[in-house]
Amino acid sequence: MPSGVELIQSLVNGLGVGLIYGLIAIGFSVIYNASGIVNFAQGVFVMLGGMFAHTILTRYGLPMWLSAILSTILVAAAGVLVQIFVINPMWRRNAPLFAIILATLAVQLLIEQIVILTLGDQPRTYPEFTAGGPLKIGAIAIPYQLFWILGCGAVMVFALTQFFERTRMGRALRACAQNREAAALLGIPVERMLVVAFALSAGLGGVAGILITPTQYTAYLIGTPFGINGFIAAIIGGFGSPVAGLVGGIFLGVIQSEAIVFFGAGFKNIVSLTLLLIVLLFFPKGLFGGFQKKT
Amino acid sequence: MTSPAITSAKPAKFASRFDRFQVGLLGLAALAVAGTLVYGGYLLTVMQLAMIYGVFCIGLNFFMGYTGQASFGQNAFACIGGYGSAILCVQYGWEPILALVASMAIAGVFALIIGYPTLRLRGHYLAMATFSLGLITYDITIQWTAVTQGYMGYAGIPPLGIGSFTIDSERWKLVALALLLGFGFWLSLRMRDSRFGRGLRAISGSENGAAALGVRVPRFKLIAFIIAALYASAAGSLFAHTVGFISPEVYGPQMAVMTFTMLFVGGVGTIVGPIIGAVVTSLLQEVVRGSGHFQDIAYAVVLLATLIYAPKGLSALGALFRRKKEA
Repeated sequence: MPSGVELIQSLVNGLGVGLIYGLIAIGFSVIYNASGIVNFAQGVFVMLGGMFAHTILTRYGLPMWLSAILSTILVAAAGVLVQIFVINPMWRRNAPLFAIILATLAVQLLIEQIVILTLGDQPRTYPEFTAGGPLKIGAIAIPYQLFWILGCGAVMVFALTQFFERTRMGRALRACAQNREAAALLGIPVERMLVVAFALSAGLGGVAGILITPTQYTAYLIGTPFGINGFIAAIIGGFGSPVAGLVGGIFLGVIQSEAIVFFGAGFKNIVSLTLLLIVLLFFPKGLFGGFQKKT
Repeated sequence: MTSPAITSAKPAKFASRFDRFQVGLLGLAALAVAGTLVYGGYLLTVMQLAMIYGVFCIGLNFFMGYTGQASFGQNAFACIGGYGSAILCVQYGWEPILALVASMAIAGVFALIIGYPTLRLRGHYLAMATFSLGLITYDITIQWTAVTQGYMGYAGIPPLGIGSFTIDSERWKLVALALLLGFGFWLSLRMRDSRFGRGLRAISGSENGAAALGVRVPRFKLIAFIIAALYASAAGSLFAHTVGFISPEVYGPQMAVMTFTMLFVGGVGTIVGPIIGAVVTSLLQEVVRGSGHFQDIAYAVVLLATLIYAPKGLSALGALFRRKKEA
């Protein structure tokens, strides 16, 4: 039986990873709500965020905050490219759902290979945003990066909520989510809103990647696990609101890290995938409901 | 192909089910096999795998093409087939054929148990649930070392054969696989045009409509899922017996993605699509392999182009010519 300290420590670790899953989950739901498409290449944006930030930091020697902003913009641009060159042509041709899913998987493969060719296949990392740490409370260590993740996560969820509630563009996106045809009739440029959704979602993934990289590492292949876990988080939370996605992510992160304590690292994925199946079968609207559309 | 003739008593005649273009494609595939038999060498292995994936895709086509559902997790059943064959043959010294059939039965039972709750899901949820099924199976094959030997995998799996007669030569293996593929294809044709098969196609058109016509939608979906699982399991076993070695990677998630690719390249829901897709994609992989680092990039670009510009796959390209003729 693991000790109390171990349990709380894994709780802290799970919280950090879970917040990242939550950010990715929000990315999933932004695209899904605007277009009805699940972008299975979501994890790739997380990988790109870390890789771009590392490249800008080491190759051009820019300060951390500037690299973070630049890489977020670059990742958002990558999202826009994916939308314009792959999703939009299929969307216009009314491609079947599963063809689009397969296309996003192909995009993931494509981007991963381009990253290998241009940036290399070595895993890499960079120092935490604030030097020093971890913060010790008794026997429990809390890395400073966790506070950055917490802070940025809170700021971004707040900003997103404001964006969706207050701005014209955010409202237009929500209109697309409710009924695309009616939105188009009201003069909302639906295709352009899809571009916005992809940029937003990719940017979110990029920020998640930039934040998580100091606590572990980044390499071309980290996209798949992050994408899958982000999707599981989105399912748990339901595709409704940013807060639900974030809570779903934290829930998943904590359960995963407890699973590591109890069953060992190898069973991490088995536990989270089983959790996904349970949620899908018994709570198809997510644990928090709020999911109205039919697929 | 989309004849909604669920109520008609007799299926159409054999010849009229194929258009000439599809027959031509099948002929080309047969030529490719024959050419490989003459040419020999590494191509033999490529075509052997193409035949095996063809079996897999025929099953997948039942579930995806005719019934209009998605399963990204069929590799789980291939995994059961492959490991079933490996364990029964290597540990217990079973006959390969018996092991193949026994593993198919196991896979079928698993498909029944898993499919019953899972198939209630639709769209993305079904896709993700089945995808996670494949991932779980992959993780289990790695972690459950007592049974699966983990990353080590199983080596020394005997080739197919009956009694003391085994198929050792690479050429004869290809011939046997091609014959088995033909048998699976013939079976799939028979099932496709049975009352059951026509019911499936009605489901893909409209579930409500099919239900109104008296099709028991959940049961039909489940049976289609089991059929797909049986084909997948057979393909997994055939892989084990043909290559002689299996490891978790063989049946990993990339198998699901690859077979999906094959089905889409060949044409989802078409009769010959699975076979054409398997052969074309396998050969394509070898062609782009020459480009070294750009191999996967070329592969992904071709796949994307197919999905965007020929969403119904190669087998449906014949429709382009036909439309011209009629106009």
